[in-house]
This record gives sequence, C-alpha cells and structure tokens, in this order.
Amino acid sequence: MSFTEIVFYAFSAIMITAALGVISARNPVHSALFLVLTFFATSGIWLLLEAEFLAITLVLVYVGAVMVLFLFVVMMLDINITVMRQGFIKYLPIGILVALVLVTQMVLLVGPENFGLSQFAEPALKAADYSNTRELGRVIYTDYVYPFEVASVILLVAIVAAIALTMRRRPETKYQTPIKQMMVKKSDRLRIVKMQAEEKQ
Amino acid sequence: MLENYLPVLIFICIGLITGAAMVVMGGFMLAPRRPDPAKNSPYECGFEAFEDARLKFDVRYYLVAILFIIFDLEIAFLFPWAIVLEDIGVFGVVAMGIFLGILVIGFIYEWKKGALEWE
Repeated sequence: MSFTEIVFYAFSAIMITAALGVISARNPVHSALFLVLTFFATSGIWLLLEAEFLAITLVLVYVGAVMVLFLFVVMMLDINITVMRQGFIKYLPIGILVALVLVTQMVLLVGPENFGLSQFAEPALKAADYSNTRELGRVIYTDYVYPFEVASVILLVAIVAAIALTMRRRPETKYQTPIKQMMVKKSDRLRIVKMQAEEKQ
Repeated sequence: MLENYLPVLIFICIGLITGAAMVVMGGFMLAPRRPDPAKNSPYECGFEAFEDARLKFDVRYYLVAILFIIFDLEIAFLFPWAIVLEDIGVFGVVAMGIFLGILVIGFIYEWKKGALEWE
C-alpha cells in the first residue's frame, strides 16, 4: 500500500466517523462541529485528487464562512431537543424507506460500475510545478465566462433575497448620530441670559 | 504535485498529536481528578442558571453573516483570476469587471437599503 493510499484511508476514516457523528450527536452544536471535521477530511481527499484550489476553497468558504453561519443559527435558535425527538418511532419506518431509496439511487448512479478504475484510466500524477488554480483560471474566465457571469447574478439574487427576508426596521430604536454630534455649534446648545444682579443683603 | 503538500500533512499530524497529548496528559494523567456534584455544576460559586442558554436572537445577525458569505465567495473567484491575469488578457479583465459590477449593484442595494446599518 502506497503512502498516498494510507493518507486516503486515514482521511476517509476520519470523514466517515465525523459524518456519523453529525447525524448521531445529541447536541446540535456538536453536530455542526463534526460537520466542520467532515469538511476538513473531504478537503484532504480532494487534495489527494490534485484539486488543490477546490480543497482550499472548501476550507476557506465552507469551514470559514458557511459553518460559522450554521453554528450561529444552531446556537441562536432555541431548539428544544426533546420536542424534536417526539414521534421518532412513529416516523422511523418511512424514514428507513426514504433512506433505502436514497442509498439505492446513490449506489446505482455513483457505484463502481460507473466511476471505477475500469471505466476511467487513472490520470497520471502531475509534476511538482503544476498549478491547478492556474488551469482553472484559464478556463473559467474564457471558455466558461457565461456561467461565471451567471454565478454573479445568482449571488446578486442571494443578496437581494437575504435583505428582503431578514431586514427589519425598528423605528422606535433610539440611537445617536455621531455626525450631528460633531457638527453641533455653541449657539445650538448654549443660551446666555442677561439678568439683573441680585442686591447684597 | 502532491509532494508540495507533505509539509501541510506533517503540520496537521503534529497539530493533532500536540492537541491530543495536551488533553490526555492534562486532563487524565497529570491533573488530580476528584469530582463532586458541586465542582461539576456549571457555576461552582454563584447562582445556578435561571434559564436556558438558547434564546431567540435578532435576525440581523444572520443578515450580516449571509452578506459576509456572499462576498467571501466573490473573493474565492478572484484568486484564480489574479494568477492567470497575464494569460487571459483584456477579455479576462472585462469578464471580471462585469462580475464585480453586478455584485457592486448588490452592494449599493444593501448599502442604500440600510442592511449594513445597526440602528
């Protein structure tokens, strides 16, 4: 067994263990942290496939940003775990049925008869100075420029949707406007009143 | 190409071993462990918590986080572009200009809408 295979099996073992942890942990925060570990192991496997840009993007975007949002959501929602566990036995048969259908579909579609080494020859290992990012960049901004621009429109839709769904105005909130505080003049605040001096008694 | 990442693998291994060694040695081997119910309570000296730590938070935190993710993704597209800038020439610059232009529209929208204000 080569060194690369050992690394692959180590990352796969971590990934499967962490993925099982995601669905079996009782505390949702632990689930989210297990998902972080799953992403890390997945990025290691992608790196073994020489998809270095994707691997690093997975860590940057998913671990760095998306999982932070997940943790945010999980920590801030008041999830009542006992209420969520109600009816577990009642829904178990249909859950098992759906899971079986999904597993069958995945085995049929991405099983070894479609994607095994017998179907695709193993690609040659790239030289040390090969840059996956450079290869990606060469095609994204030239051959695939249209999907690239569509991606920006999708991101724009996401911005608008996020604002439309979650923007809440609070007109009753009291707050300071620093610029008004800075621009205030002495005459706006201070009034000097002339008055008769009191007689000494 | 993979040999370039050997230092990263070594770094991960050293990190895992160091972290595990600290937890195992500090938590189980060296430190005395004589737990009792009072020591194990969340606040050993002080009040017990009055209510659950999970409470409903303002939805505006999510808005900030989602907007951050969107611009984080935008940055991810800039890395390969910066590397191949000399190869793709003016066409690539214009392509990225349109991409950024569309996202700047979104940025102006959120600015004008007041999504970045915290009231």
